[in-house]
Parts: sequence; C-alpha cells; structure tokens
Amino acid sequence: MKEQPLYFVMLFKAVSYALKAEKILKQEGVSHKLIPIPKHISSDCGICLRFDPTIQSKIEAALLNKVEIEEIRPLGN
Amino acid sequence: MKDTKIVDARGLICPQPVVLAKQAIESNDRVVVIVDNDTALENIKRLGEKLSCDVRIEKKSNGTYEVHFIRKTSATPAKEGFAPSCGAAPAQSGPFVIVISADKMGRGNDELGHVLIKTFLHTIAAQTEKPDIMIFYNTGVKLALQESEVLDDLKELVAAGVVLLVCGTCLNYFEAKEQLGAGVVSNMYDIAGIMSKAGRLLIP
Repeated sequence: MKEQPLYFVMLFKAVSYALKAEKILKQEGVSHKLIPIPKHISSDCGICLRFDPTIQSKIEAALLNKVEIEEIRPLGN
Repeated sequence: MKDTKIVDARGLICPQPVVLAKQAIESNDRVVVIVDNDTALENIKRLGEKLSCDVRIEKKSNGTYEVHFIRKTSATPAKEGFAPSCGAAPAQSGPFVIVISADKMGRGNDELGHVLIKTFLHTIAAQTEKPDIMIFYNTGVKLALQESEVLDDLKELVAAGVVLLVCGTCLNYFEAKEQLGAGVVSNMYDIAGIMSKAGRLLIP
C-alpha cells in the first residue's frame, strides 16, 4: 500500500460555492482537487476541495471575499 | 497447409483493419496484414493474441507494418465469434465493466455533471472493489487525456490492474490521440465485444 499524502479539505455551505472555488483556483493556477466529502466527515452527498496544506494561505487568499468557506480540516482517514 | 493470405489494410479507417484481419484469420492459418498506423497495429496485435495466433511484426522502411499471424495448431480453433472476452478475467461470469460515455455524469446541468463524473472516478479509484475494465468513449475520452483532472485517479486504477480502453475513433475525432494520458487506444470491435460479455456493466 502506498502511503497516503496528508491533505486538508475545505467544506462549503453549498455545492455552487465549491464549483465557484474550483473555477477561481483553476484560473489562478492553484493546484487543488474536488472530491466527494468523505463519509467520516459528513454523510451528505457533497463535494469538498482537497489541497496540500502548504498552499492553504494561497488558496484562502484566492477565495477571499469571493467564496464563503464553511470549514477547513485535515482530510484524515 | 494453405497459402498465406495477405490483407492490405493501409489507408483504412478503424475498425476496418481489425474486421478484415479477423475474417482472414478465421479462414486461413497464415495471414499477413499490412497496416500503416499505430492504432491499427495495436488493435490487430491484440486480436491475434485473442485468436491464439503467433504474432510477428515487421516494420518496413516506408512506415508500414507487416503483421504475420500463424494460427497455433495446438490451440483449439477459435469458435464462431470471439472466444475470450478481453484478456482480463476469465469470462466465467464476465468482467465487471464501467463505461464512461461522457465527461459528465447524468443529464441536466453540464457543470454539475462534470464535477460528478470527476468525483465518481476518484471514488472508484479509492474503493476496494475495482472494475476489471473501463471503457471511455465519446466525450468520456477527454477524461483520459494528459490534461485531465482525474488523470492521477486513472493512473491509480491502471496500477491496480484495471484495463482502460479508450475509443480510438473518439480520440481521432477530438484530435487528441497524442494527448492520451492513461489507458490504451481501442476500437469498437473490442468495446462492443467486452460490453456484450460483461458480467456487470455500469454506466454512470
């Protein structure tokens, strides 16, 4: 089994915010990935933004005043 | 022994070369197929393996390939139609196949659908029960290109032994054959054959 890299996930109030965040980050060339919200975080069928913790500030800056962020937390297992 | 049957498949469009090759192999023990492109070469090579032939490829200086087939005498002669399903799992109950027919999941909203298909593939790559084969066609092939946002998921699936077949006609249509990032170029012959023999077929 390969070692899982450590990631953070960003949760949003609505799917549309996640889509908007993705659009902005794509434009700015910030690496990220939309993934389904892991079951241990929420049983909703939602999507969240997964990213490398080292670029958290970059991501937050890009989304500042544009997208409402509900929560940022480690992805965990 | 009968004479060698020569099939000139130069200039023919997929899946013509495979169809002609199959017909020739079924009625001749020795067949030489001449092709002029990599897709046809790959498809014909796979066909030969499926039909239990010894396959030998000669690259000619003019950019064409001669593919020599000799039917193995020891092998049971291929029954009518295609005997083995796809070279993956033995087709007792048929392979588990996932068909990605678009770069979206569901109908209605395309933006949402595109997010859904990405998260679907990510989830399939992460879960333990993986398909044997995944087939990509129409705009689905875009997900297998180098620039694809799910390329790492697809590569993970390949590493786990999943066979990804990507429709060559579709890549050609989108002029994206050079940009293929994961999987192998396939043809309707294989795609239809595998779908027909699938034990389980999942189309998200």
